[in-house]
Amino acid sequence: MNDELTPNDSASRRPLLLLLASGLLWLVASGCLGIIASYQLHDPEFLSGFAPATFGRVNTLAETSFVYGWLANAGLALALWVLGRLSGEPLRAQNWAVAGATLWNIAVAVALVGVATGDATGFELLGLPSYVQLVMFFSYGAIAVSGLLAWSGRLRRVSHASHWYAVAALFVFPWILSVAHVALFAAPVRGVLQAVVAGWYARSAWTLWLAPLALSVAYYVVPKATGRVLPSYRCAAPGFWCLMVLGGLTGGRHLVGGPVPAWIPSVAVVSCVLLLVHTLAVALNLRVAFSGKAAALRFISFGTSAYIIGAAADAATSFRGVAALTQFTLADEAQRQVALYAALSTILFGGVYYALPLITGRAWFSARLILVHMALAFTGIILLVGSLCLSALAQGRGLLDPQVPFAEIFQHARPWLLTATFARAALLLGNTAFLANFLLTLSPAPETPRPVSYTPPPALEAPGP
Amino acid sequence: MKSDLAFFLGLFAAFGVSYAGIVLASNAQLGSLAPYYDDGNDASFPRLIPGVAARGELVYRDLGCAACHTQQVRRPSLGTDQARGWGDRQSVARDYIYQPFPQLGLSRLGPDLTNVGDRKANALDADAMLRLLYAGSWGMPSYRFLFETRRTGTGAQPSDEALNLTEALEPKAGWEVVPTQRARDLVGYLVNLKTAYDYPEAFPWNPTKPEASASAPAAAPGATKVHLPAPTVVAPVPRASAAPTPPGPAAPEAAEPPAPTGAGGAR
Amino acid sequence: MSGDLQREPPPDQAVAADAGLLDAHEQEVRRPGGGGSRFWGLPIVIMAPLGALVLFSVVYLNRYAGGYSPLIFDENAKPAKGGLVFKVDPVVLGKKQYKTECVACHRSQGEGVPAIYPPLAGSEWVNGPAGRVIRIVLYGLKGKVHVQGNEFGAAQMPVYGRVQNSAHNWSDQKIAAVLTYVRQEWGNKADPISEEDVAAVRKDLGNRESMTEAELERLK
Repeated sequence: MNDELTPNDSASRRPLLLLLASGLLWLVASGCLGIIASYQLHDPEFLSGFAPATFGRVNTLAETSFVYGWLANAGLALALWVLGRLSGEPLRAQNWAVAGATLWNIAVAVALVGVATGDATGFELLGLPSYVQLVMFFSYGAIAVSGLLAWSGRLRRVSHASHWYAVAALFVFPWILSVAHVALFAAPVRGVLQAVVAGWYARSAWTLWLAPLALSVAYYVVPKATGRVLPSYRCAAPGFWCLMVLGGLTGGRHLVGGPVPAWIPSVAVVSCVLLLVHTLAVALNLRVAFSGKAAALRFISFGTSAYIIGAAADAATSFRGVAALTQFTLADEAQRQVALYAALSTILFGGVYYALPLITGRAWFSARLILVHMALAFTGIILLVGSLCLSALAQGRGLLDPQVPFAEIFQHARPWLLTATFARAALLLGNTAFLANFLLTLSPAPETPRPVSYTPPPALEAPGP
Repeated sequence: MKSDLAFFLGLFAAFGVSYAGIVLASNAQLGSLAPYYDDGNDASFPRLIPGVAARGELVYRDLGCAACHTQQVRRPSLGTDQARGWGDRQSVARDYIYQPFPQLGLSRLGPDLTNVGDRKANALDADAMLRLLYAGSWGMPSYRFLFETRRTGTGAQPSDEALNLTEALEPKAGWEVVPTQRARDLVGYLVNLKTAYDYPEAFPWNPTKPEASASAPAAAPGATKVHLPAPTVVAPVPRASAAPTPPGPAAPEAAEPPAPTGAGGAR
Repeated sequence: MSGDLQREPPPDQAVAADAGLLDAHEQEVRRPGGGGSRFWGLPIVIMAPLGALVLFSVVYLNRYAGGYSPLIFDENAKPAKGGLVFKVDPVVLGKKQYKTECVACHRSQGEGVPAIYPPLAGSEWVNGPAGRVIRIVLYGLKGKVHVQGNEFGAAQMPVYGRVQNSAHNWSDQKIAAVLTYVRQEWGNKADPISEEDVAAVRKDLGNRESMTEAELERLK
């Protein structure tokens, strides 16, 4: 170990701040697009004369900018930060990461323009036109190089659950993207196999790429912020491998009753149920976050509860008896919001709130804006998921009665769709507060408060050089 | 995690499990699914789709119609797809092998479109579809950008392609609304969406007697489990809608039954 | 939120605290016998639910995966002993055949047209020996025929089987199916006819001209 310890975080700040800033900008942009899409659900004639704003396209735009703009950027930023901290050195190959991040964001912007002008792919979570996918593959690789070097070159050879999840996320995305690109675009497979591969990609992207990015942050921030060793840490390894093996097998989850051989959705049902073991491991480990009062811990504990509820709901609605009511309704959208927003995004919010002061060396500009964001995020997401579930119930009941025409289903669901738009507006407001707080923290300030002196908590005491 | 290499290999083995289990296994089973040859009709089904339908599928995909419409009919005990007249049987994999980009869809904000070209009740022909696209409906937006409003001149006759719109939507005098090529392609695709044939795997036959699989099958209809219940809304219509009308006694070809057309066994 | 920073070491001690985090967790994993018992190397709190859910999964897949067959799309289809028979139900197939090919002359209720096309409903020919109707459909029928006391002779039954002079070339399975359907519909109660029966007749007689009533009446 060096005699002269360098502040590793501020040495690594260039790629991290670039990724975080891009992520937050995309968060706000995707929020606006999401409101347009949600508005069109209850008022279909909104912007209907404008071809790029037709519902089918806006829906894809909102999803793509949210996943590949906000979640990818913030997830990568925090994963790189965690890997860098655990490596004991500043991040290496930072220029690669900066170049990769820039190229990635340009590619996402090009993808959005492409979808708006007619190159949509129609696949869930893979709304990227074929021509940007190669660029995203290489730019992701450039960012990942930095993280992988931090992992392989770490000073202490011991690895932590955060390592496993972050490294898995760094490897998995190029893998699933290349398989999907070949099987769906370069040499498209025949007929319903496209739906099978697309389902495999969507579920792998959620369980093997995005969830590990958030979990690596949670597994690092929770022990650091609470000052305690994670209880049941022995369950962390089985939980990790459970997720890695079973994540992609849930690919047929939404093909229940569809024109695919019955074993594909059956394997998906079984995998969703077995994944509850992974969820149990995560719950047991992260339960100490619930006693925390810091903003980061509040966000992470909210996200953990949402992760648990989401996994349970996923398993329950995969069964055919329940799917008869919920399939093809907005229940799928509610599930997506629970998974991507309520669980992952709030964990990433917690990570950003924890990490930014360390990266910049300054405290957050306004504690009040943090509270505003927290209140709006929590109430907004609960309202959004609740109203989507209620509209799904109205839809499901209507679809199950063959005498009910679609006009009537639409009328029954409409009040809940209005509530969902209102909830999204609240979320957008909270995220704007978050972005404002972030930008104000970054801008040069006349005085920066210095952190107070530190006493290491006994559980995490260093054994000595 | 003793060594990083072991971790890396373990990781890819784990990824490989789902790749092999879902992608490779299903590709092995369905990757070379061939059309089904029906010797009575001397034809294989499904048929290749016409060019306008292939172009229309691209329009369907780029407008994101799959965000609200599905194209898969489920079995009767899983939802009311068949009772709503969306199809007579569960969709199977063979139905989609000649579609370049099958748009199965994941959400039913609007009705299923598997058989929209062949609906028995509330049938939609090309003109009705164009009007629906222009006007929109409950929950469905209008797609005016797929149409062109152009001048015919006062007192001139509207052209053949002009849409026949109701008063509220009619353009002012001297103007007409005409579908663009994309609208025509899209409707050409929709009109071609119909179930071509009933494949054996769509009606798997469970002989109730164990020895019945050998020679004389038990033919009592009540013995099999997979007959579809009659749809509650739409009256069952015999599949062979292309059956030639029986000639009356005075018809000149009464001596010979009419030769069946090539599409006799299909729809 | 200065409470957060109170727990975080200043930059020059950050690395030490992270090292402590790594070591403390590694020790937690290696602590012998602590934190609950292990079964098969896994903590019991993981092993118990995992075992139960694996058992559930095995039972579920056994029942609902359709034997992993690419041809089973309905998960309730039980994999039958000897596999599912993927022949189309002959009554369903036969009904379809009848409604496309036969209904033009013999009409939808099997009533035929007086003096031109014989009825099939209640016909003694249909309910009679299988060999007769098999030959009629395979080779056609020329000349007059008497059904239920009435004479029909104005039209000739065409040749349908895979034999010479046939314009239709129906497979044995199709002939068996349509005959099975007709023999159980509209009040007819006769045994079904199998594909093998039709094949045997065709093999026996080879190519020949259409049957006559006289020849058929000699058959039992």
